[in-house]
Parts: sequence; C-alpha cells; structure tokens
Amino acid sequence: MFDSEVLLPDLWDILGAVPVTLAMALGIFVFSTIVGSLFAMVEYRRVPLLRELVVAYKVVFKGVPMVIVIFLAYYGLPPTLQFLTSLVGIDYNGHSTPNWITLIVALTACVAAFQAEVVKGALNSFDNGQADAAYSLGYKRSQVFRRVMLPQVIVAAIPDLANSIMVIMKALSLGFAIEVVDIFAQSQLTAALNFYYLEAFLIAVVIYMVIAYLVTYAADRMERALRVWA
Amino acid sequence: MDLSIMIPELLKALPLTLAITFTAMIAGLLLALIATTFRVRRIPVLSQLADLYVSYARSVPVVLQLFVAFYGLPLVVALFEVEDFVSPNVAAIVGLSLYHGGYLSEVLRPAYLAVERGQHDAADSLGYTFLQKILRVVGPQAVHIALPGYGNSIIYLIHNVALVMYIGAADVMATAHLVMERDYNQYQFETYLVLAVIYSLLCLVAWMVVRFFETRNAKFAPNTALAKATMMASV
Repeated sequence: MFDSEVLLPDLWDILGAVPVTLAMALGIFVFSTIVGSLFAMVEYRRVPLLRELVVAYKVVFKGVPMVIVIFLAYYGLPPTLQFLTSLVGIDYNGHSTPNWITLIVALTACVAAFQAEVVKGALNSFDNGQADAAYSLGYKRSQVFRRVMLPQVIVAAIPDLANSIMVIMKALSLGFAIEVVDIFAQSQLTAALNFYYLEAFLIAVVIYMVIAYLVTYAADRMERALRVWA
Repeated sequence: MDLSIMIPELLKALPLTLAITFTAMIAGLLLALIATTFRVRRIPVLSQLADLYVSYARSVPVVLQLFVAFYGLPLVVALFEVEDFVSPNVAAIVGLSLYHGGYLSEVLRPAYLAVERGQHDAADSLGYTFLQKILRVVGPQAVHIALPGYGNSIIYLIHNVALVMYIGAADVMATAHLVMERDYNQYQFETYLVLAVIYSLLCLVAWMVVRFFETRNAKFAPNTALAKATMMASV
C-alpha cells in the first residue's frame, strides 16, 4: 500500500511550493509584527480609549478559529474593499482581489493579536532603570527608545518571534480552503494526480519539520550572537 | 436567513464537536503525560522518540496531521489485521489526540522543570519513589504552573476541532456548509459570523473553567516567579 517509488518525484513537486510559502510567511510576519508592535506600544504607553480597543481586538481574534477568520475575510473583504474604494471615487472590482491577498490580510489580522502579546512581553522585560539612566544623561525620549530600548527588546523577543514564524507557516496551510497553494495544498494537489495520498502528506510533514528545525536553529544562533549577557 | 432555524440546526452538530474535543482532551493528556515522563527521565531511545513525536505535533499544521491520521490509520490497522473501522470521526479523534498530546507535553515539561530543584532533592532525600514524588510533591506545584498553558492548549484544541470537516467529519463547520448551500450560498458571511460566536463562546467557557481552577489552586503556588505561558496560536 505504501509506495516508496513516488517519494522522490513527489518531493520535487512539493518543494516547488516552499519558496512561495516562505515568501507569504515572511510578508505576514512583517505586517503582523508592525501591527502587533503598534498594539503593544498602545498598551505599554497606556493610551486611553485606544487601549480598550486593542484589548477588545485581541479577545476577538484569539477566540475565533483562524479558518473562520479566513472564510470571513474571503467573503467579507472584497465587498468592503469595493465599498471603500468607491468612497474615494476609484472604480475597483473588489471580487478581482486575488485570494492570496485575502489570505495575507486574514492571517495578518489574526497573528497581530498574538504578536502584540510577544512584543508586550519583550517590552515588559526591559529594565526601566536603564531608561532612567539614559534620561539622566540627557537622552530624548526618542533616543532612549532607539538606542537603549529597541536593541534589547528585539533580542528578548527572538525566541517568540521564531515561534510565530512557524505558526504563520502552519497557518498558511489553512489557505487551501480558499485556493491558495502552499506546501500543504501542493502536497494535496500532487497526491490528487497519482492517488498516493499518504506518501505526499508524509513528504509535506518532513518538509515542515525540517523548516521548523532550521528556524529554531537560526533563532538560537542569532540570540546567542546578539544577547549581551549581564 | 433565519437565525432561529439556523442556530438550532448548527447546535445539533455540537455534540459531535464536543465529543471529539473531550476525547482528544483526555487521550491527549494521557499521551502528554507519557511523553513528558519519557522526556524528563531521559530514558534512552524512548526519550528521543518522544522528542520526535513532540516536534511532529508542534511543527506540522493540524490539517496535515489530520490528513496523515486519515490516510495513515487504515495502514496501521491493516498491520494488526483488524477489520478497518477508521471513519472520519475516528481519524479526527486520533489526529487531534496526537496533536494535543504533543502540544501539551511542551506545556507540562517546562512546568515540571520550573518546580524548584530543592523540592525534588527534598523528596529524593526522604526516599520517595518517582511516582510518589510526582503525586505528592512536584505534581501539585507543577499543575499550578502548567494551568495557564493548559488553558491555552484547550482553546487551541477547540479552534482546531473546526478543521475536522476537511477529513469529512460532520461537525458544526460541516453543518454550516450544508446550511449555506441550502440557502444558495447567499449568507456565507453571516453564517461564518454565527460560527465565530459559537466558537468564541466555547472558548470562553473553557477559559472560565481553567480560570476557576487557577484561583482555587492558588495555595499550591510556588513562591518563585512563575514561568510566563507564551500565548502563541497553534494551528
């Protein structure tokens, strides 16, 4: 029942989807980290009103499964886009939005809620005495942030950020529901051609595990190289 | 779209969703306990296998794990020359149990390790066996440390039960698709909103139960700082 002869051709087929998956994951990672950092700054600086909104946002996007968010975006985003562009007077057919853009928007919205948590944790690990010391040396607020806080906060966040890259990679596999082809969807397509389902899926499993190993390894190396051990 | 018709219809499929969740919860906990024991006691070979299992459960998307269970189980069953009993529901339960067990093992292990070294030493010096040490000294403290992470893992399990429709189990999501198609796919967005509310409520209930145990067990809180449970989605 298990045929090892198809493994190699399947592997080549499925490997073809790896660059696209990585590119999408990177895009979502960058966007969600930016949005998440804004959220975390709102909470860290205790901006009134906005803070409550951020908390509500996080509750909503943590409580709803990602598949459902993806489907909501799939059916809700095109009309919304069309409406918004019609407000500024651009004639845009929202239903021509490619599915991968919908997927990236949906996953960015989901992951941002978790990234906010990661960045907030890193911000809280920052020792405020250092900020006081910098202020006493006449640093401006922006200088403290850029020269003292940011370098340490980024290093503190590395393990969690690596974890979130893996989460995004895995979340992309839900995109097959809206016809976005990533590693998992490609393994399904490959399997559908020759009916060797288990073989194709096992190859996808191996690819995911290797990528996870590489990401953790790279993050470990990076953290060790950058961290200033007190 | 009539909510008063749709919601009862969706709720009719809820028992299956809940059954899969609870079975996976219990089987996953058992698997996690076994894997964690192998890993913290560093039993040669078994500990490496447990490591491999945990990294499989954590680094492979749950949809893919479900498909592997769905297509792999019949082969395993055939090895034992039993009649093929694998239905989508069985495959969903097995797949999610494996996923939940691996994820949970990575919650329990840090919790076990976070219990102060002195507590282990004290129990060892009093001649406790491993099982006694776990049950009487380390366990209660580790449970308290693990509770927030356990709560997260339950919430992710509930989220991931929404994926079992892809291997053909007739859960709430699958029923919603039937309902949508019967309405000629007019109300997809609205139906998914209703689903979002249902799943949020399930998560809320799970969260409140875990929260209750967290406050009830506060007396077991170790006086050292708690390891932060990283809240990161798991799909």
